[in-house]
Amino acid sequence: MNVLGIESSCDETSIAVISNGELKANLISSQDFHAEYGGVIPELSSRAHLQIILPLLKKALKESGISLNQIDLVTATAGPGLIGALLVGLSFAKGLAYSLNVPFVPVNHIEGHIFSGFLMKEKPEFPYLCLVVSGGHTLLLLVKNDSEIIKLGSTIDDAVGEAFDKVAKMLGFEYPGGPLIQRYAEKGNPDSIKFPIAKLKNKYDFSFSGLKTAVLRYVESVKKETGELNEETKCNIAASFQKAIIEALLIKTKLALVEFDVKSISLVGGVAANKPLRESITQLGNAFDKKVVIPDLSYCGDNAAMIAYRGMRLHQLGYKFSFDVTAYARMPERFFKSYENSL
Amino acid sequence: MEFPLKEISGSKENTKKIADEFAKLLKPGDVVCLNGDLGSGKTFFVKAVCVNFGINEVNSPTFAIVNEYFGKKKIYHFDFYRLKNEEELMEIGFYEYLNDTEAITFIEWSDKFPDILPQHRFDVNIKTKNENSREIEIIRL
Repeated sequence: MNVLGIESSCDETSIAVISNGELKANLISSQDFHAEYGGVIPELSSRAHLQIILPLLKKALKESGISLNQIDLVTATAGPGLIGALLVGLSFAKGLAYSLNVPFVPVNHIEGHIFSGFLMKEKPEFPYLCLVVSGGHTLLLLVKNDSEIIKLGSTIDDAVGEAFDKVAKMLGFEYPGGPLIQRYAEKGNPDSIKFPIAKLKNKYDFSFSGLKTAVLRYVESVKKETGELNEETKCNIAASFQKAIIEALLIKTKLALVEFDVKSISLVGGVAANKPLRESITQLGNAFDKKVVIPDLSYCGDNAAMIAYRGMRLHQLGYKFSFDVTAYARMPERFFKSYENSL
Repeated sequence: MEFPLKEISGSKENTKKIADEFAKLLKPGDVVCLNGDLGSGKTFFVKAVCVNFGINEVNSPTFAIVNEYFGKKKIYHFDFYRLKNEEELMEIGFYEYLNDTEAITFIEWSDKFPDILPQHRFDVNIKTKNENSREIEIIRL
């Protein structure tokens, strides 16, 4: 079976092809789309998706060695995300499926991330604990099986990726600043500044707004004293901030590992690209004797491979979808089972 | 509550009270623009207002650009922080959102694009005094 996946929920346009269970292509616009196709394009726009999507599809098919009429299933992200952006990929996918006379499967973007570990050779085993960390989301989930996901906790304010980007900005780095924080942190002392870790009513929830503000206060106090931040201070702030973030994530994940008997643990989403976080989660999993599955970097950020995989799985499980499905901006209520109602 | 309002809030609890009073005045079609530095509490203020409409899941829209909430009122929660130009706003359907007279729209970092804001709106300007204290100014335009 040849599956086509399309993702366009936010900044990236991405197209993937899975053939007989094997990923043949996973193209992502910021890496694989070049000016030769249409010149400079505003980064955040539906029009950008519109201009990129067809050349990217052609490139993906060429790379996979599969022609359009060999496609057996078309999948696309339906939400959550920016409506204008989502509509481009979703409508394109529907039109394509209709014209090819093959089934169409809409996929929830977060669900795509949650199951992205299955793109790896070593796959998660149910039930598994899933930590979703990205620019827009921070979720701790108990994935019982293919269709039952329990939400243990989530951020009550800023997402992890957002905290990274905003602290990066305070240190004078360009957006997106996450990768630069990691690089600076490598040269800094993580114990030089003590940043707070939020304590919350729901023991599995996260909050990063207070940490963000604490870093800001620190930056301001240094600037007041010395005029500006020198490189050493930047490195120390980056290292101490990153340590506080990772500790907050680890504390909750560890709590959940103690409470729930899971087989494996999976770290997914854009921030899963952070190396010290990958290492910390791996160590934690090993200490608890759990299988740890962290997708390769190309499956961490927004990508169509995870959409194609999840769409294929839903199809295999017998789910049927009509062409009436529309795009949605927010995560649907009750998409996850709540922690209270599931015990 | 009378406008313009200018008040020093010494705590989160006090800010919540101001938000509660402000929420009583809001009706569908209103646009509320929030300005203030990083960490001044713009999202906190929106969160505190929305609790009054039975909405408890307010979080930062920085990454998503716009969040939609449905409680006793329909809310659009924008954040211009990540946007580079006005064209991007048009591309994400900002004007369509703004034309929805059944919703209350909040816009964080609205002062990045002052020219595109509606004439009639509320401006909520938050200044950080110290760790806990904020100067909150609300203007009706």
